[in-house]
Amino acid sequence: MRSRIDVSDLPSTVYGHPAPLWWGVVGLIVIESMVFALLVGAYYYLRGGESVWPPPGDDPPLTLPAINLIVLLASAIPMHLVVRETDRMDRKPDLRRMRFWLLICTILGFLFLVGRAFTLSQMGFRWDSHVYGSIVWVLFGMHSIHALTSVGENVLFLALLYKGPVEEKHLLDVRLNALYWYFVVASWAVLFAVIYFDSGVLRD
Amino acid sequence: MSRPKPKPKPEKVERDEPSTDPYEAEVRQLEETWKRPPGFIGWLSEVNHVAIGRRYLVTAFVFFALGGLLALLMRIQLSRPENDFLDPDLYNVIFTMHGSTMMFLFAVPIMEGMSIALVPLMIGTRNAAFPRLNAYSYWVYLIGGLLVYVCFLFNMAPDAGWFSYVPLSGPEFSPGKRVDVWAQLITFTEISALAAAVGTITTVFKQRAPGMSLNRMPLFVWSMLVKAFMVVFAMPAIVVASSLLAMDRLIATHFFNPSEGGDSLLWQHLFWFFGHPEVYIIFLPATGMVSTLVTAFSRRRTFGYLALVLALVATGFIGFGLWVHHMFAAGLPQLGQSFFTAASIMIAVPSGVQIFCWLATIWSARKLRLATPMLFVLGFIFIFVLGGLTGVMLASVPIDLQVHDTFFVVAHFHYVLIGGAVFPLLGALYYWIPKLTGRMMSERVGKLSFWVLFAGFNLTFFPMHQLGLRGMPRRVYTYKAEMGWGDLNLLATLGGVLLTVGVLLFVGNFLWSRRRGLPAGDNPWDADGLEWATTSPPPPYNFAWLPTVQGRHPLWEQTPDQPVVVGLRSDRREVLVTRTLDAEPDHREVQPRPTLVPLWLALATAVGFVGVIFTPWAIPAGLILAGAVLVGWFWPQVDQDETLLEEQP
Amino acid sequence: MKGRFPISRLWWRPAMNRRAIERRSPGELESRLGRRHSLARAFMPGQSAPALAVAFGWQSVLDSAGPQAARIEDLWWVYFWVCAAVFVLVFLALVMAVFRGRRGKGDPTDPGAPHPPASERRLTRTVAGATAATAVILIGLLVATVAASRATSSLPGDPLTIELTGQQWWWQVRYEDPTPSRMVTTANEIHIPVGRPVRVKTRSTDVIHSFWVPNLHGKRDLIPGRPSEILIQADRPGVFRGQCAEFCGYQHANMALLVVAEPPETFAAWYEAQLQPARPPSDALQQRGKVVFEALPCPLCHTIAGTQASGKTAPDLTHLASRRMLAAGTLPNTRGHLGGWILDPQTIKPGNKMPAVSLGSDDLRALLAYLESLR
Ligand code: HEA
Ligand code: HEA
Ligand code: CUA
Ligand SMILES: [Cu+2]
Repeated sequence: MRSRIDVSDLPSTVYGHPAPLWWGVVGLIVIESMVFALLVGAYYYLRGGESVWPPPGDDPPLTLPAINLIVLLASAIPMHLVVRETDRMDRKPDLRRMRFWLLICTILGFLFLVGRAFTLSQMGFRWDSHVYGSIVWVLFGMHSIHALTSVGENVLFLALLYKGPVEEKHLLDVRLNALYWYFVVASWAVLFAVIYFDSGVLRD
Repeated sequence: MSRPKPKPKPEKVERDEPSTDPYEAEVRQLEETWKRPPGFIGWLSEVNHVAIGRRYLVTAFVFFALGGLLALLMRIQLSRPENDFLDPDLYNVIFTMHGSTMMFLFAVPIMEGMSIALVPLMIGTRNAAFPRLNAYSYWVYLIGGLLVYVCFLFNMAPDAGWFSYVPLSGPEFSPGKRVDVWAQLITFTEISALAAAVGTITTVFKQRAPGMSLNRMPLFVWSMLVKAFMVVFAMPAIVVASSLLAMDRLIATHFFNPSEGGDSLLWQHLFWFFGHPEVYIIFLPATGMVSTLVTAFSRRRTFGYLALVLALVATGFIGFGLWVHHMFAAGLPQLGQSFFTAASIMIAVPSGVQIFCWLATIWSARKLRLATPMLFVLGFIFIFVLGGLTGVMLASVPIDLQVHDTFFVVAHFHYVLIGGAVFPLLGALYYWIPKLTGRMMSERVGKLSFWVLFAGFNLTFFPMHQLGLRGMPRRVYTYKAEMGWGDLNLLATLGGVLLTVGVLLFVGNFLWSRRRGLPAGDNPWDADGLEWATTSPPPPYNFAWLPTVQGRHPLWEQTPDQPVVVGLRSDRREVLVTRTLDAEPDHREVQPRPTLVPLWLALATAVGFVGVIFTPWAIPAGLILAGAVLVGWFWPQVDQDETLLEEQP
Repeated sequence: MKGRFPISRLWWRPAMNRRAIERRSPGELESRLGRRHSLARAFMPGQSAPALAVAFGWQSVLDSAGPQAARIEDLWWVYFWVCAAVFVLVFLALVMAVFRGRRGKGDPTDPGAPHPPASERRLTRTVAGATAATAVILIGLLVATVAASRATSSLPGDPLTIELTGQQWWWQVRYEDPTPSRMVTTANEIHIPVGRPVRVKTRSTDVIHSFWVPNLHGKRDLIPGRPSEILIQADRPGVFRGQCAEFCGYQHANMALLVVAEPPETFAAWYEAQLQPARPPSDALQQRGKVVFEALPCPLCHTIAGTQASGKTAPDLTHLASRRMLAAGTLPNTRGHLGGWILDPQTIKPGNKMPAVSLGSDDLRALLAYLESLR
C-alpha cells in the first residue's frame, strides 16, 4: 500500500533561486569572481615587491577609461528595466519594451567595447614591458573577454526577443543573462578601482 | 508565482500489478523518453548521469593503471643504487607524469565519477542537474588525458614535477613544449572539475527527493557537496596560476620572472592555495564512502551524523588555511609559519572526530559484517591514521624543514592518498559496482585482493619514512651505494610488485563479475540508501516513481505506506525540483534530450587550449568556435505547449 | 634528550655507528667501508681518500652534529612517541570495536531502529572525550613546535658569513670578509669552524635549489630573486654531507655538497691556504698540463686564481686538489675519476653543463698532474 504525492500541478517555470539554472549561473559567477579576486591578489602581491608602481612614465591614461566606466555602469540601468519588465505583477511582460531596453543595453555594451579597444591601444606599455604591464594587461584582458562574451549573449537574447517565439520560461534566461551582465559591470568597477587608484591622477 | 500544494492522494498502487495497469504504460513511456539514441552517435550524445559516471570511473581507472605502471618503472629504477634503467630525463618525465596522472587524471576525476554516478540515485532523482554540462565535463577530461598521453608518445610529456615550480618550468629553463602540455592538462582538468562541481551543487540543493531535508542527506552526498564547494573556491587558483605560467611561456609576460619584477613565490602561493584544498577534494569524498560503508555493514544508524557533517564542513573551511605548510622551507616570516602550523594541526581535530565516530559505529554495531568493502574500510583506518599522524609531524616547522622534499613526505602522502582515498574507493567500488553493473564481485577474490594490497602497500611505503629520515631527497633518479639507501628501496620496490598483483586481482575480479558474477538484485547488502531502491543497474530514468524520505536511512526506516511521487510527465525528461532546505516539491524542470552539443563544445575547447601550445591565435579561434556551439547550447528550446508572450498593444 | 630512547635509536639510526667509526683510524675506516660496499671500492681505484669514507652515510636527520639539528631531533622524538601512542590507542580501539561489533548487539534485522539512549550517551561521551584529548595533545605539540622554532632560528655568537650560490648543478661558496682580498671562493665544499655559528646567505642564479645538511639543520630554499639566509653550527668535527633538496632539473640527484667542520685552528689554516693563488707548476709535466688547460675551453668557465683562467660559470679550481669530491659530490676526487670526468662528463652526470673535451693520453696525464697539484 503506497500513498502518492501528485506533483503534476506544479509549475514548470520559475524565476530566481528555485530554478536550477540560477544555481548554475551563480556558480559560474562565483568561480569567475574567485578568478578576479586571485588576480587582484596577485596584483597586490607583485606590487608589494616593487618600489615604484607603476614604473615611471607608465601610468595608464585615465580619461577614456573613466568615461568608459560610466558607459558600462549606465548600461546596467536599461538591463534593470528589462528585468523589471519580466517581473510585472500588474500585467504580462511587454515584449516590445523588453526589446527596446535590451537594445539600449547592448548598444552601450558595444560602445564600451569600442572604448575598451581604444583604451588598450592608448596604453603606453605592453604586457611584456615589465611585470606591471603583465598584470594590468591580464586584468584588462580577462575582463575584456568577459565583456565580449556577455555582449554576445545580449545580442543572442535580442535576436530571440525579435525573432520569437518567446515563451514564459525564456524570461528566466533573460533574467539570468541580466545577472551575468551585472557581474560584468560590477567586476569592472572593482578592477578599475584597483588599477587606477595606483596610477596617475588618483594616486596624488 | 503561487504554487499549488502537492496533495497526497492515498491510493493503492502496487509495483507488481498486472500489465494492464497504467503503471506499465507509464514505465514503457519513460523508457522511451529517457533512452539514449541508438548507435555510435547515440553513444556520443549520452547525457544520462549513470552512463557518464560509469565512463568517468572506467577512464579514471585506466589512468590509475597507467600512473601505477609509471610508478613501477620508478620503483625499478630506484630499487638499487646507481641503476641505469631510466636516464635522468626519462625519470623526471615519469615522476611528473605519475604525479600529474594520479592527482589530475585519477584521484579527482574518479571521485567526480562516483559523485555523478551515485548522487542522483542517492537523493532519488531522475538525472543530475545540467546533464549536458556533465557530458561536457567528461569529454573535456578525456581530451585532456589523451592530450598528455599522446604527447608522452611524442616525447613532449612534462618533466617539471606535479607542481611545476617556476623558474624551472618557466620559458628560460624549460624551453620546448613540455611544460605547456602540462599547463594545458591542468586547464582541461580544472574546467572539467568546475563544471562537475556546479552540477553537483545544483543537483544536491535542488533535486532531492521530497522529505530529504538537508539534515537527512546521506553523508556521502554531504561529502560530495563539500567537495564541490571546495572545487569552486580552490580550482580558480590553479586556473589563474596555469594561465599566468602559460602567458609567461607563450607571450613573454613576467609574472614569475624575477629579473623583471616577477616573483617565483607567487606561483607557489597560487599553486598551493589550490594544491592543499586539492588533497581534501580527494579525501573528503572518500570519507563519505567510509561513512556509508561503516553504516551499512554495522547495520545501525550512523553514530554522530551531525558531528560527521560538521567535521566535513570544518575540514572544508580549514583546508583553505593550510597552503603555506608546503612552503616552510622557502623562509617566510616565522610568525606566519606558526599560524599555518596551528591551522595544519587544528585540522587533525575534525579528522579525529570522523575516525572516532566511525569507531563508535563499528563498536556498537548490531552485527558487523566483514565483507570485502568493510575490510577496505578497516584497512583505511589503519593506514590513514598513520598517514595523518605523519602529516601532523610535517606540520611542525622544524621537523618539516628537515624532512621536506624527502621520501618522508612521499611516504606521508601515499599513506593519505592511497590509504585515505584509494582504499575507501576500492571498498566503495566493491560495494557499488553491483548497483552499476547488476553483478556481484567475488568475495573470495575480493578479500584476497584486500590482503595483498594491504601488505603490498605497507611494504612499499613504510620504508620510505626511514629513507626520508636518513636523508634521501625525493625526485632523485639515482643515489650512491654508500648512502645506504639500497635495501629499503629494494623493499619498497618489492612492495610495489605486490601492489600490482593486488590491483590485477581487483581488475580480474571485476572482469570476471561482468560475465559470471551472481545477479545482484536491487539491494544485495540490505543497505539503507535510496540507490538500493531501484533495479541494478538502474533504468535510465532511475525511478519510475520518485521515492520519498522520512529519515537519514530511507530504506531502513520505510513504513509500508511511504508515499511515492507521481505526476511527473513521462513524455518528456522531467525532473522534480525541490526546495533547498526542506526538499518540499517546488516545480518540475524539463531536461534536455541527448545531444552532441557537449562533445562539440569540448572539441572547440580543445582547439583553443591544445592549439595555444603552438600559437596564441588558437585562443580566439577556440573562442569563436565555442561561441558558435554555445549559441546552439543556449538557444532556448521551444515547447509548443507553454505560454507564449505577445507584444502588448 | 640524547640517549633516552635507546631502542628507537637503534632502529632509526644509520647503519653504522658514528662514534665507533670516528674512533678508528682512517685506514681502518676505509677498509671497513670497502668491505661493506664493494661499490665504494670501485669508486676509489688505487688511492685512498679517507675523508670520503666519513662523508658517506651520515646524511641523516637523526644523527645531529649541531645545536639546531639536535633540537629538532629532540622534537622529532617527542612527536614520534606521541604519535606512536596515538596510533597504538586508535589501533587497539579499532580491534576492540571490530570484536564487539562482530558479536553484535540488538536486532540486526531492524537496522533502522534507534539505539538504546544510554549506550548512545556513553558513546557520545567517549567520542567527546577522545576529541578533547586530541585537542589537548595537539596544543601540546604546537607549543613544543613553536619553542623549537624559536630555539633553532637564532644562535649566540659572532657568525662567520658565507654566501652560498646554487646553480644547476653545483654550489658556489664565498667567504665574506670586510677586506676584499681576504674573501675566499670555492665550490661544493664548505669548511666551518666547530662551535661558531655560520651565517649562510643563500642565493640562486637560475632555478630554485635547497640547501640542506641534515646533521646540522633543516633546509632553506635558494630562490632566484629572493636572497635569504640561514644560521648553522657544528658542535663536533666531522664531514657532513648535504644534498640539494628542491627539484632543479636533470641533475638534481647529483647536486651534493660537503660541510667540513674543523677545530678553529685547522679551519684557520685551511682558510689561509685558500687565500693563496694557485701553486705554480713545479715540474715540466705540470707545466705542460697548465698549457693544455689554457688551450682548452676550460678557462672560459673556470677560474684558477693567479692564472689567466677566470671564468665564472663553473666551480673555481684554484684549490681543486684540496677538495674531497668532484662534480658536486658525484665522484671522489681521485686521479682516475678526475680523468674520467674531464673526458666524459656527460656520461657520468648527463645533462650537466660541462662539455666533453678530447685529449691525447699524454695531454691528459699532464693536465691531471697539473690539476692535482692545485692543493
Ligand atoms: C588525501 C590527501 C591528504 C590528506 C588527507 C592529508 C592530510 C594532512 N596533511 Fe598532507 N599532503 C598530501 C596529501 C594529504 N595530506 C600530499 C599529496 C602532500 C605532498 C604534495 C607534494 O609535495 O607533492 C602533502 C604534504 C603535506 C605537508 C607538506 C610536507 C612538505 O612538503 O614538506 C604537510 C605539512 O604540514 C602536510 C600535513 C598534513 C596534515 C596535518 C594533514 C591532516 O589533515 C591529517 C589529519 C589526520 C590525522 C591526524 C589522523 C586522524 C586523527 C586522529 C586519530 C586523532 C588523534 C590525533 C592526534 C592527537 C594527533 N601534508
Ligand atoms: C592518488 C595518488 C597516487 C597514487 C595512487 C600513487 C601510487 C603509487 N606511487 Fe606515487 N605519487 C603521487 C601520487 C600517487 N601515487 C604523487 C602526487 C607523487 C609526487 C610526484 C612529484 O614529485 O611530482 C608521487 C610520487 C611517487 C614516488 C616518488 C618519486 C620521486 O620523488 O622520485 C614514488 C616512488 O616510489 C611513487 C610510487 C608509487 C607507487 C609504487 C604507487 C602504487 O600504489 C601504484 C599501484 C598501481 C599499480 C601498480 C598499477 C597496476 C595496474 C596494472 C598493472 C595494469 C592494470 C591493467 C588493466 C587496467 C587492464 N610515487
Ligand atoms: Cu639543485 Cu635540486
Ligand atoms: Cu597540504
